[in-house]
Amino acid sequence: MGKVKTKLEVLTVSDPMPFAHPEGDPWKDFREVEKVRLEWTLTYNHSLGKYSKFFLGLEEGKFYATQCPKCGKVWAIPRPVCADCLTICRWKELPGTGVLETFSISEFVPSFMKVEIPYVLVLVRMDGAPDTLFTHELKNYGKREDIKVGMKVKVVYNDGPVEHPIKLMHFEPL
Amino acid sequence: MSGRRVFVLGGGISKFDKDRVDGTMRDWVVEAVLSALEDAGVDIQDIEHSTTSYFSDHFDKQLKAGAIFQDHIGMCPKPNLRVEGGGATGGLAIRNAYAYIKSGLCDSMIIYGAENMGRHVPSDEAQQFIALASDTDWEVQVAGYYIAYYALMMKAHMEKYGTKEEQFALVSVKNHRNAMYNPNAHGPKEITVDDVMKSRLIAYPYKLYDCSLLSDGAACLIFATEDWAKKHCQGWEKKPTIEFTGTGCGTDFMRLADRPHPYPGVIHFRGKREAAKMAYEMAGIKNPLKDFDCFEVHDAYSGVELVSYEDLGFCKEGESGKLMEEGVFDLGGELPCNTSGGLIGFGHPVGATGIAQGVEILKQLREEVNPKRQVSLNVKRGGMDSHGGTGTFVTVNIFERRD
Repeated sequence: MGKVKTKLEVLTVSDPMPFAHPEGDPWKDFREVEKVRLEWTLTYNHSLGKYSKFFLGLEEGKFYATQCPKCGKVWAIPRPVCADCLTICRWKELPGTGVLETFSISEFVPSFMKVEIPYVLVLVRMDGAPDTLFTHELKNYGKREDIKVGMKVKVVYNDGPVEHPIKLMHFEPL
Repeated sequence: MSGRRVFVLGGGISKFDKDRVDGTMRDWVVEAVLSALEDAGVDIQDIEHSTTSYFSDHFDKQLKAGAIFQDHIGMCPKPNLRVEGGGATGGLAIRNAYAYIKSGLCDSMIIYGAENMGRHVPSDEAQQFIALASDTDWEVQVAGYYIAYYALMMKAHMEKYGTKEEQFALVSVKNHRNAMYNPNAHGPKEITVDDVMKSRLIAYPYKLYDCSLLSDGAACLIFATEDWAKKHCQGWEKKPTIEFTGTGCGTDFMRLADRPHPYPGVIHFRGKREAAKMAYEMAGIKNPLKDFDCFEVHDAYSGVELVSYEDLGFCKEGESGKLMEEGVFDLGGELPCNTSGGLIGFGHPVGATGIAQGVEILKQLREEVNPKRQVSLNVKRGGMDSHGGTGTFVTVNIFERRD
């Protein structure tokens, strides 16, 4: 007897489309189904590339954006090249305060994200970057009724240790 | 552009369901292809080219799945390519058929799409795979995922225009109800606004019934020139002739945070407006609300359908909720939308979804669907909106009946 250690089950399934097969199940020879469990673990040696200064800045409690030297636009989520005029940007430190543009409150978050629920995801218009937004979590907001579009918020830094450097910050009401 | 014209010969759909334990993607592709070939009256041996449409390599743990689909449907050694644009993948495949046939690279093309979204991986891992379709450094790491993005978009719409939760709940009621008349649908259900409002809160303002379904399934369409159809299609003269008359495509920044304001801001789908403008111009559409008999709209979440009405030009910005209340988009309304049940009622096997929209429009225009969801044909034209990410890729395609 051959043994399969990953075997979950062997089942006989019925025709999922009987309404399309008035003359009987055309796949009747193929209705016995075996299921096995396969595991897959992945590891990435992930580069933060040209964004790295932003993440290294968080370790020092600094919030860096990028600014286009040609059109002047400030990208709150930094990008090495201005998407409006394809000019190479320069780093610019921002004060780390801003205004809440919109938010969502999740009662469910996929567990791989390892956050507490309810989880408040916000988009913030950072002071010094009027044309773009920054995405992060809002914490210590008191009651959920107190979260308002237009409220002032600030970046709060932590010492970690964290798995991804973006977790060295979050937003709180100012 | 060349004077060649492109026609829709046939379409097929597998059963959409939450867990097709009876097989895998390749089996559902075969189902959909066999059904489309029968519908078109065409032999696979005669078809010159194919396009593969699927979104994720992770769900099926299979790279290059197109090679498997191609050999399973007897298309080797003929040419094939894969298109991918998240939720818009199927719409891109339809657009690809237009481009290849119009250019003269081929006279006939079969496009097939599928996704394995069901229970092959635990739900939590499924959410992780889907989350990877947003920026993994800047969004996923801060626990961004699709329901949360769409929830904050809808919150912004509510703030700006006064749109109410009950108004987008009506979309869910409509789409679940339309699916009752579609035997291939994953989620047919007779529900009320109250049921939607009381369903489990996932991410304010979205509740469980506001969400589309993770489905297993496949869909297929066959396109060709008229000369090719006359030569290779059995019964071509007997069925109504359906022409592919318009196609458009638009994009936007991956991250909501980078999009310009005030339009689209974090509310609207700029890529959709762009795609619609392009497709409408090709097909000579002046007033979209009156110039279509039916439209399949990408209802990833109920509110997305409302905002899409606005960006597709069916109404002004902020007016969709009111028109929804008036029944404009219901069966029997001025422009019935998602007669198939859409992603909320019919289901959302990503790579199949956009193609399934095309099959619905084809069969509506031929007056072949269940009479309970059949629209009345006035202008004999239907449209479809296939949309990925938070509107990062969008296609709009238009079919018209010629008789």
